[in-house]
Amino acid sequence: MRFVIRRLLLFMAALFGISVCLFVALRILPGDVASVMAGLNSPPERVAALREQLGLNRPLVAQYCDWIAALCRGDFGTSILTGRSVGSLVAARASVTFPLIVMGLIVAMAVGIPLGCAAVLCRSRALRSAFHIMSIIGGSVPALWGGLLLILLFSRGSGLIGVFPSQGFAPDGWADSGRALASLVLPALAVGLIVAAGLMRYTRAALGDLASSGYVAMAMACGMTRTEAVLRVGLRLAVPQLVSVVGLTFAEMITGVMVIENLFALPGIGNGLVIDVGNRDLIAVQSELLMLAAFFLAVGFLVDVLHRLLDPRLQTSGDSAAQGG
Amino acid sequence: MANDDIVNGGIADDDRTSRPRTQGLPSDGDSAASRPRWRGLSRSGWGWSHAAQSEPASDNAPIPSGHPRSLRPLRRIAIILRSMWRHGEGRFALIVLACWLIVALVSLVWTPYPLLVTDGYHVWNGPSAQHWLGTDGTGADVLSWLMAGSRTNLLIVIAVVAVTAAFGLLLVAAMVSRRSALASVSVVAVDALISVPTVLIALILAVPLGASIMVVVLACGFGYGLNLARVARPQAMLAARSAYVESARANGAGGWRVLVGHIVPNIMPVLLVQLSLSAGTAVLAESGLTYLGIGVPSGVPSWGHSLATSVKFINVFPLTVLWPGLLVTVVVVALNIFGDVLRDAADPLTNPELRGDHGR
Repeated sequence: MRFVIRRLLLFMAALFGISVCLFVALRILPGDVASVMAGLNSPPERVAALREQLGLNRPLVAQYCDWIAALCRGDFGTSILTGRSVGSLVAARASVTFPLIVMGLIVAMAVGIPLGCAAVLCRSRALRSAFHIMSIIGGSVPALWGGLLLILLFSRGSGLIGVFPSQGFAPDGWADSGRALASLVLPALAVGLIVAAGLMRYTRAALGDLASSGYVAMAMACGMTRTEAVLRVGLRLAVPQLVSVVGLTFAEMITGVMVIENLFALPGIGNGLVIDVGNRDLIAVQSELLMLAAFFLAVGFLVDVLHRLLDPRLQTSGDSAAQGG
Repeated sequence: MANDDIVNGGIADDDRTSRPRTQGLPSDGDSAASRPRWRGLSRSGWGWSHAAQSEPASDNAPIPSGHPRSLRPLRRIAIILRSMWRHGEGRFALIVLACWLIVALVSLVWTPYPLLVTDGYHVWNGPSAQHWLGTDGTGADVLSWLMAGSRTNLLIVIAVVAVTAAFGLLLVAAMVSRRSALASVSVVAVDALISVPTVLIALILAVPLGASIMVVVLACGFGYGLNLARVARPQAMLAARSAYVESARANGAGGWRVLVGHIVPNIMPVLLVQLSLSAGTAVLAESGLTYLGIGVPSGVPSWGHSLATSVKFINVFPLTVLWPGLLVTVVVVALNIFGDVLRDAADPLTNPELRGDHGR
């Protein structure tokens, strides 16, 4: 448990560091937040009023403390543009993005891990190199282009096989869950397939190491075939590492998710964030970025803890094995 | 902290190396797993500045010590290129990268059409004799824009690799430093920050900087530098605790000298693979960030720019979008392969030719 506590402290420290960086990045703007938000050519009184309203006249440390205190109370600020609270805005967007990420992850795991296993198990040289080429090319496709190809292939209207809606989210949101799901299929495929290539390469590397290890040899000596031994013994041993990789994949997917949301015109977090940055809606941007960073740090934390729980070898060697992380 | 690495290096280190960011896989199953690694022993053949140490006995060509520079640098490069060329994949990577370089240079003096010349009568044209890859929505020549874009992308990739290497090595130096406070703080910081995605860093930077090449370079350099440090740390640690570093220190070598002379040559294989992966990822990141409006500013030619401008009209004319995407994919494949092949070709443990003219 000492490990968990240490990791939790680390999580808090990192969050603090990022919040400070964010705060500073937004305060070193040419001019200041108020004049940027008020826009060019706005009268100085308006800028001054806005500055007063946002509390920008107060010392930086006090502003920072106010912001953090408000966050702790669950008050994420109000978007200047729309007048809605940032909290509800993010919640509405997350209802699109979160299912998209989960579906993408499912696609990635459903494609990447079996293919990685197959690449280890197959014996023919030609198949092996085919898998190798597949994984390299899959990881090299820009998300934008992958999404476009999927649109060209499968979307209604312009696609070769019109099955799924090409752009936009179901107008009624999740009330019409069938349509909502259908509009997420292509984006999830686009996000998932690209990540699957990395997962496949990784599965192959981890499992390949284990397949030539003593564990699998022992299992085969006990009467399993190689396939059985690799899948039942090797895969179990690879699970902790795979969990780590899936966790990092999760964080890395967000780049693809932002592009794909934009491409498919989905009203998700990534799309919203890009729009807010473009609109200079800085109060919203500040809170949204911190929330996202906190989310990814939390994922990293969970993955580290899970990795340790799943790999008993790390526990028996004592807490010092944590190496601060 | 120091001793932990030696004591249970096996499990804990692998745990660390094996957590790449999705694309940054440290090694490829076949090539790395089947090859024995003599970790902790000096890689004599890298030979930048230190004398050869004892080579493992299983190798049939024992290298006499005391030949720090038995091969001249030019000859070394020639040998490395030749053995990469012999490799099928390596040949592909070399050809693609050479073409990229040549096209970038040529585009400085010549493109089929000047970038700002538009042909209003031929908008969204397919490939033809006048416009080899067709024209875009304003009637500008797609090939010319892609050629000019290769210049921008080359610049970005070189800058990202430089920033990544500098930042990553700085972190490695901090992680293996003898001041335990500095070392543990940097390990902890890297561990925590690694889970923040590159695009978030780019968004944070884009707020004060706006859309600019700097955003791409700094965000990628920062993110991949962290990744590099994390992947290279176990090997750097073993090198830092080795007997030859101790003897160098006893001879009065300072911290930086040890880093450049002993630790960097030891982590060179990891370094090469990670840097070429980060080059590939930088090309991908450029296209993504430019599409999101926080990368290369509009009006500056780049592959991401060509991709992003053609996206808006995908339903009208799908073929134009094919070229930039295909180009990016091929180049990124080449960069990814390049690192793997270069590692094998430049490592004297796997490439006997580099052990060269002594010992046989």
